[in-house]
Amino acid sequence: MKNNVSRRSVLGKITAAVAGVLAAPVAKAAKTVTEKVLVTTEAPKNYDPSKHRWAMAIDASRCIGCGFCAEACKKENHVPEGPYFRTWVERYIITKPAPDSGAARGETLVDCPNGGMHGYPEPSVPKEEIQHSFFVPKLCNLCKHSPCTQVCPVGATFDAPDGAVLIDPKYCIGCGFCIQACPYGCRFLSPVTKTAEKCTLCYHRITRGLKPACVEVCPTQARIFGDMKNPVPDDPLQKFYQNNLLVSLKPHLGTEPRMLYAGIDKEVR
Amino acid sequence: MRRLFIMPPQLFRIFLLAVGIVAAYLIARYFLTPPSFGEYGGWYRGAALAELATRDRVYAGKKACEECHGDEYAKLTKHEHKSLACESCHGPGEAHGIDPRKDNIDRSSYAACIRCHEANPSRPKWHKQIVSKNHYTGSKCTECHLPHSPSEVP
Amino acid sequence: MTNEVANAVTNIVEVVMPHFEGYAYPNEATQQPLWSVLIVLYPYITGLVAGAFIMASLVRVFNVKALEPVYRLSLLTAFAFLLCAPLPLLFHLGHPERCYEVMMTPHLTSPMAIFGFVYAWYLMAVLLLELWFDYRRDFVVWSETTPGFQGLLYRLFTVGVMDESDEAAQLDHKYGHILSIVGIPSAFLLHGYVGFIFGSVKANPWWGNVLMPIIFIMSAMVSGIALCVFNYMVLTWIRRKKVDMRCLDVMGMYLFYALVLDAAIEALDWIHRIYSAEEGFQVMQYMAREKLFYTLSLGQVTCGTLIPLILLGLLQLIRRRVPELQRRRMYFASAMLILIGVLAMRWNVVIGGQLFSKSLRGIMGYKMEFAGLEGWLMGGVLLCLPFVILTVMVKLFLSERLPTDGHVPHRD
Repeated sequence: MKNNVSRRSVLGKITAAVAGVLAAPVAKAAKTVTEKVLVTTEAPKNYDPSKHRWAMAIDASRCIGCGFCAEACKKENHVPEGPYFRTWVERYIITKPAPDSGAARGETLVDCPNGGMHGYPEPSVPKEEIQHSFFVPKLCNLCKHSPCTQVCPVGATFDAPDGAVLIDPKYCIGCGFCIQACPYGCRFLSPVTKTAEKCTLCYHRITRGLKPACVEVCPTQARIFGDMKNPVPDDPLQKFYQNNLLVSLKPHLGTEPRMLYAGIDKEVR
Repeated sequence: MRRLFIMPPQLFRIFLLAVGIVAAYLIARYFLTPPSFGEYGGWYRGAALAELATRDRVYAGKKACEECHGDEYAKLTKHEHKSLACESCHGPGEAHGIDPRKDNIDRSSYAACIRCHEANPSRPKWHKQIVSKNHYTGSKCTECHLPHSPSEVP
Repeated sequence: MTNEVANAVTNIVEVVMPHFEGYAYPNEATQQPLWSVLIVLYPYITGLVAGAFIMASLVRVFNVKALEPVYRLSLLTAFAFLLCAPLPLLFHLGHPERCYEVMMTPHLTSPMAIFGFVYAWYLMAVLLLELWFDYRRDFVVWSETTPGFQGLLYRLFTVGVMDESDEAAQLDHKYGHILSIVGIPSAFLLHGYVGFIFGSVKANPWWGNVLMPIIFIMSAMVSGIALCVFNYMVLTWIRRKKVDMRCLDVMGMYLFYALVLDAAIEALDWIHRIYSAEEGFQVMQYMAREKLFYTLSLGQVTCGTLIPLILLGLLQLIRRRVPELQRRRMYFASAMLILIGVLAMRWNVVIGGQLFSKSLRGIMGYKMEFAGLEGWLMGGVLLCLPFVILTVMVKLFLSERLPTDGHVPHRD
């Protein structure tokens, strides 16, 4: 009896081992098949994201509100028609205070018709009543502690090693949580792809040595783009950092944007 | 192994079911996790980076324009408009670069001048602005200004 | 020339934006809020699950014997609603076919990623198991007495454990007891984390609030107990049975206490918001006064809280002097009002949080459509579905024709 039991256990072990040896390659083969299904492109590997650190800054005092950037972004990235923007330009109008009001300034009017792509209508207040007026380009703030990537349930949006905050269009489930979590309104749910979309810093351009489309077409260098790890001689971004006092948007939220602004007012948020 | 069988039958069945569910989950996870997941250390598909990078561009960039239009480019860089990109006024040029024709590039309209230079109280003071209807009643900006070399007189 | 210049200068805006006042970020100016009716229903249904389970636990864990007539009904209610809880979430996804990714690569810093696991845990490790341990012996008996397909079903539900002995039943009861103790924190986890999904969004001052999970748990308990009152009264009415007044009085008592707690915490939330009046308070104040007036002041506060508080509070004081029929009516009315009020509360949280721009400079409008994925029709269907499932389950598991050992808990 005892002998029988031990023989059976030995037999069991041998069968288990054989089954294991047989199952492993089967599983591996099946895995390669699923991998082929899940990976569809053979992307070039000549770009090393760990060797770059992209950054961008806005000099709002140079923005003339032409809207070339918003238009170029829509064309370059095939952004759908309608209220969907990866970048846009806001117009701020701060009126003079009412006489005897004792206030430093009047009310703040903000508008951004169609993302600023086609310019702006006449201000709703007469020119004489305007105390300050200026344009502010907006786009992804490249947060150091990005609330949008934090809340993605599947890992479809992420901080790339090179500083871009990206969305994986093949992996996004379209839940919209990241859109809710972005304090700056920089994300939208594309009605075409049904996934979240946002500024990629024109990832397909910067990885080929080009500037993002909005930076390319900006006639006044209000948008400054650069690589923190590979500064070019006389780097405009480094110069901008050295020559300006900088602020970020909504600093109280602790997102620590890497997108820094010069020349904006406290009303900008 | 024998201890398990001393488990009350209810518990044992549940235990088997639980093991089955966990095993099914682990197997599914083994097969359904994308292969490049975690490639760069983060919680995402590493292949996504390359996929995003391989998209086609629409704007070609200044350098691409220079290849054929070197003379215009040289003129542009010597004058006030040196900070402008060709595609600021001429629109996206990648298609034109691939197939250089006259009809697939914006040969530029007068609206492009006005778009930046029309007077607007929100525009910074250093920027040259005009009120177009008071400025000139003719039909073309280029009658007096050369866009590629604004300080020259035609 | 003139026309071209005119276009460039007057800047014709080509796309007509949906209605909003003030300034909204361009991406926010969509026709509908990103999360709409489906996401209103999702916390509502999960809340009902958690509340109904707590109701059942009162019997199992806290030994409230008066509530035994509704024990199984509340468990089945929780189960029926739990089965429907992920549907609105699933339907609102842009890519529902990719939902498995939440389980395969759950991003652990996301409150939403845990949903799959919390849900699976609560469904399979808590509710299903507790139901199974509670019903196992009945399944064995029923499988022997019921002919045909239904008998086969019961046979299947036994999972092959056919032990009918009292010792086995004792064991079943013991495990069920342990499970309901585990179940209470699980129910809080299930719904508290739903609150956290909203409470963790710091970008949105209407949502980003530490009290949010607690408010959600409290309102879940209130709505769940109200649902059990509603279901119990409807079921006895359909079966032309007499309502067990002692049971109903005790349910009403718990409903009242839960409502007091809920109202206190929600009032605290509002007092804090008004007193600290942080950034964005003005826009929220305007919204509460204008855009959410009906659902907030009338729905949530008056119908959902004040009237039931008065009705149930009165019954606590002068129960003996109110005739039975009146009492039943008052309980039923309170339960209905609370169910509506909590739905309004979910609406106020979810829709309210998206009616103002994150620039805090504008208010968006929202008119619900009738058909379509996020319309009245779909919402109504999703709200009715759990009741349909519950009806089937009541027919299968609470049928009067089935012999039962009365699920009388064996005390040891």
